[in-house]
Amino acid sequence: MLRYTFFRLVQAAFVLLVMTFLLFMLIGMMPGDPVENMLEGNPALTPELARQMRELYGVGVPLPVRYWHWLTAAFQGDFGFSSLYFRPVLEILGPALLQTLKLMVATIVLSIPLSLLLGAIAALRPGGWMDTAISFFAFASISLPNFWLSLILIIVFAVQFGWLPASGTPLADNPSLGLQIYHSILPVTVLTMFFVGPLLRYVRASMIETMSSDYIRTARAKGLSETTVIVKHALRNALIPMVTVLALGFGMLFSGALVVETIFGILGMGKMIFDAIRYVDFNLALIGLLLATIVTLVSNLLADLAYAWLDPRITLK
Amino acid sequence: MSAIDTGLAGIPSAPRQTIWQLRRKRFLRNKPAVIALAILVTLTALCVLAYPYSLLMGLDPNETNLLMRFRPPTATHWLGTDSLGRDVLLRLMYGGQVSIAVGVLGTLLTALIGILIGVWAGFLGGKVDAFLMRLTDVVIALPMTPVLIVLGAVDLSKLGLSQALASSPGVVFLRIVVIIALVDWTTIARITRAATIEVRQREYVKAATVSGARHLYNVLVHVLPNITTPITVAATLSVGRIILFESTLSFLGFGIVPPTPSWGNMLTNAQELIISAPALAVYPGLLIFLTVISVNFVGDGIRIAFDPRSEK
Amino acid sequence: MNALVEVDNLNLHFPIDDGFFKEKLTLRALTDVSFSVEEDETLAIVGESGSGKTTLGYTISGLLTPTSGRIKFGAALGGHSQKRPVQLVFQDPFSALDPRMMVGDIVAEPLRLQGVSRAERLQQADDVLEQVGLPAESARRYPHEFSGGQRQRIAIARALIAKPKLIVADEPLSALDVSIQSQILNLLNKIKRDRTISYLFISHDLGVVHHLADRVIVLYLGRIMEIASRQDLFATPSHPYTQALLESVPRIGRGRRKPGQALKGEIPTPLSPPPGCVFHTRCPRAQEVCRRQIPELLPAPGRPEQLSACHFKD
Ligand SMILES: Nc1ncnc2c1ncn2[C@@H]1O[C@H](COP(=O)(O)OP(=O)(O)O)[C@@H](O)[C@H]1O
Ligand code: SF4
Ligand SMILES: [Mg+2]
Repeated sequence: MLRYTFFRLVQAAFVLLVMTFLLFMLIGMMPGDPVENMLEGNPALTPELARQMRELYGVGVPLPVRYWHWLTAAFQGDFGFSSLYFRPVLEILGPALLQTLKLMVATIVLSIPLSLLLGAIAALRPGGWMDTAISFFAFASISLPNFWLSLILIIVFAVQFGWLPASGTPLADNPSLGLQIYHSILPVTVLTMFFVGPLLRYVRASMIETMSSDYIRTARAKGLSETTVIVKHALRNALIPMVTVLALGFGMLFSGALVVETIFGILGMGKMIFDAIRYVDFNLALIGLLLATIVTLVSNLLADLAYAWLDPRITLK
Repeated sequence: MSAIDTGLAGIPSAPRQTIWQLRRKRFLRNKPAVIALAILVTLTALCVLAYPYSLLMGLDPNETNLLMRFRPPTATHWLGTDSLGRDVLLRLMYGGQVSIAVGVLGTLLTALIGILIGVWAGFLGGKVDAFLMRLTDVVIALPMTPVLIVLGAVDLSKLGLSQALASSPGVVFLRIVVIIALVDWTTIARITRAATIEVRQREYVKAATVSGARHLYNVLVHVLPNITTPITVAATLSVGRIILFESTLSFLGFGIVPPTPSWGNMLTNAQELIISAPALAVYPGLLIFLTVISVNFVGDGIRIAFDPRSEK
Repeated sequence: MNALVEVDNLNLHFPIDDGFFKEKLTLRALTDVSFSVEEDETLAIVGESGSGKTTLGYTISGLLTPTSGRIKFGAALGGHSQKRPVQLVFQDPFSALDPRMMVGDIVAEPLRLQGVSRAERLQQADDVLEQVGLPAESARRYPHEFSGGQRQRIAIARALIAKPKLIVADEPLSALDVSIQSQILNLLNKIKRDRTISYLFISHDLGVVHHLADRVIVLYLGRIMEIASRQDLFATPSHPYTQALLESVPRIGRGRRKPGQALKGEIPTPLSPPPGCVFHTRCPRAQEVCRRQIPELLPAPGRPEQLSACHFKD
């Protein structure tokens, strides 16, 4: 197990390294002059420094060399400046990542009980009308364009009724927790709607499997009430492997959150990355994308490790 | 005939139902799937009719008319007009052509890449397999939306295409198809690989090999025809996913760019007009939703029809 | 006699890797296997499951490449142009036939791979189908329309169509109902009468072997324990392992029998076969020398044609 973990860590580190190169190249192919894009925004940029930088990254310098300069600088903690915000990129991306994670944690906290509840109800009588309705809901969840759902919810709850704010970011300087939650209701609803479908399908399938297993039959035969059987045995059984599903879904949820942020004007990773790409902010885009890759890598890694942990056959390999 | 007892009693005199007849029957019994298929066919037909409809009504999807902005539905403009005075229904029809075409072509390309990689890895095994599966792991580990957007933002003129060509609608369309396929092939590759490994070790492949069959023969004659089921199911489901990718990209401004309409980019505009013209935000999204959910129901129906054991 | 195939010092090892941090293990599926298949004979391979029978069959057919040693298709072929005039018949008649192909195309496949035109090969397929006792119209059906026994006939037809010199039949009866088994056995015998062909007949059923084999090879943990004619093997088994196998089939086992000779224990793993005589962990006659020294495959006392690998053979 330890070995497997180590191997996966090495693999993830390698993937990250490859990604730095790919992204460096791709972002270099965005419109505009990559070198100027890179240098802009640095307040300490004296003409002398600019000349040095152009020497390192300039037109005549081959791409691998340019990449190498960037990589060595990055390893020394120098990730460059944002040309949009005139600040070091990490100063911008740190809070943004936190913001996105908050959104995701809220979604996960809501999605788990909801999917357990809906999945359990559907599994009670497979093929019954409740099951059919819940299955339809799950299909809707995976088929809804989340940016559209955001617009519709804004139209209904913010524009028509005026009950909820259309913006995900409170205007106040130091917003209270309550205010923050109030502003997060719509975005979190969209993300939950998006996340709960795959989860509940999983819970339902695993519940149906457990409910027909011998050990549930034994529990029933012992005269335990149906509620006890479901809650204590079937649900609990479904919960353990759900860790894996959650971790795998994390990357997907992250991607979803990025889109939803742009609509609700939340200053998270998504907004940063999109603005960076739209306005060709080289450093911000690069580091933002790398952070996004790290988040996805880590969640996949956790999923694999959780899976290996729970399924002894894998570790034997 | 030989003298020995041949035990032929079991040979039917006429062929029984072919497997396809059975599958069709099982699919047709699945009501949601049939309804979904009907919706899909109708939607596609409507989109295909965009051109005849424009002739019939004397409309042009891209001609702006500032005197005709935000008109409510009328006899000529059944769904009214948009912020530039263009007919909403006609633009929805043309946008649908784009979305559906991206979905179908993207799936074909995704399937092509996925099948090639999956069969290659699964059939050859060993180092090739290990390398290709690591590659698949890497692509799966990418954050989908941001990567799509970077790919969408790449300036094609830096790849040697002329500025005019790079921004022509045809190239923009193909580029969407290609970049989506570049990140989406992993599911089909994994499924194909697993199926290939299963079929590869079947004994009819061994029999052919003993008779002198090469890899290519075995792949084309024995493996591919026997793995169509999982690939078809996976490909159907990927149509829905790809339509969602395309609409998201176009919505964010990195996909199909105006004036060419797509359901995604029609929502970009609508976003700024949700107070003055909320209806404009409803139709395109509703159509995306309807199309994707129908595709998913059809995919589920195919899955059940192909493998009745999976019905749970 | 004319040797059709000569197998010389064959070894086949499967490398087993342990994930990515490779702890290279070797599974010794076949070790120092030497024998020959004569023209027009039925040579049976017997042994418990996991003893390497299938691996041997696959290696002779060319599906597996030996780690070392040689397989020579010899003089009896008389300049035959085919590289390896071998065909396979498998145990499982279900996975042996491609469900997406019509029976005619399945049977004709070896000819297709030789470049014979479709009309020509389908014509031949009809003929062969008839020879194995299936009506010609079977050619236009799909495998799922046939029973297990009928499928095995189809598989035999496919093996026959290319006129092989050797058919490797890997437990061709064990998946069939008992009543069908004898039909297929009769079919194999009939084919043998009609043409000059050798069978390498793999089986773990000594009863069937007794019925059909000319000679028998006894395999244990990838090594040959004994080679003998059918008569010798069943009448005077030389190797303790052979004796133990016969012991479990009292109906045919007419060999010398000592009480308590039946096999006990499990077959050891071929990942680390026992040193010395591989059979010593289960052999009732094992002595100290058996643990140290590998017995050579040598004639039994007074019977030059009967070879057995044991320090204390009968
Ligand atoms: N492809 C393979 N890779 C690794 N080990 C194998 C492979 N094929 C067979 N073996 C091993 O080789 C040994 C002999 O197998 P096999 O030839 O199938 O025996 P039999 O046919 O007598 O039952 C067994 O221990 C089996 O597990
Ligand atoms: S060599 Fe020894 S252990 Fe092996 S079979 Fe003969 S007596 Fe038994
Ligand atoms: Mg075998």
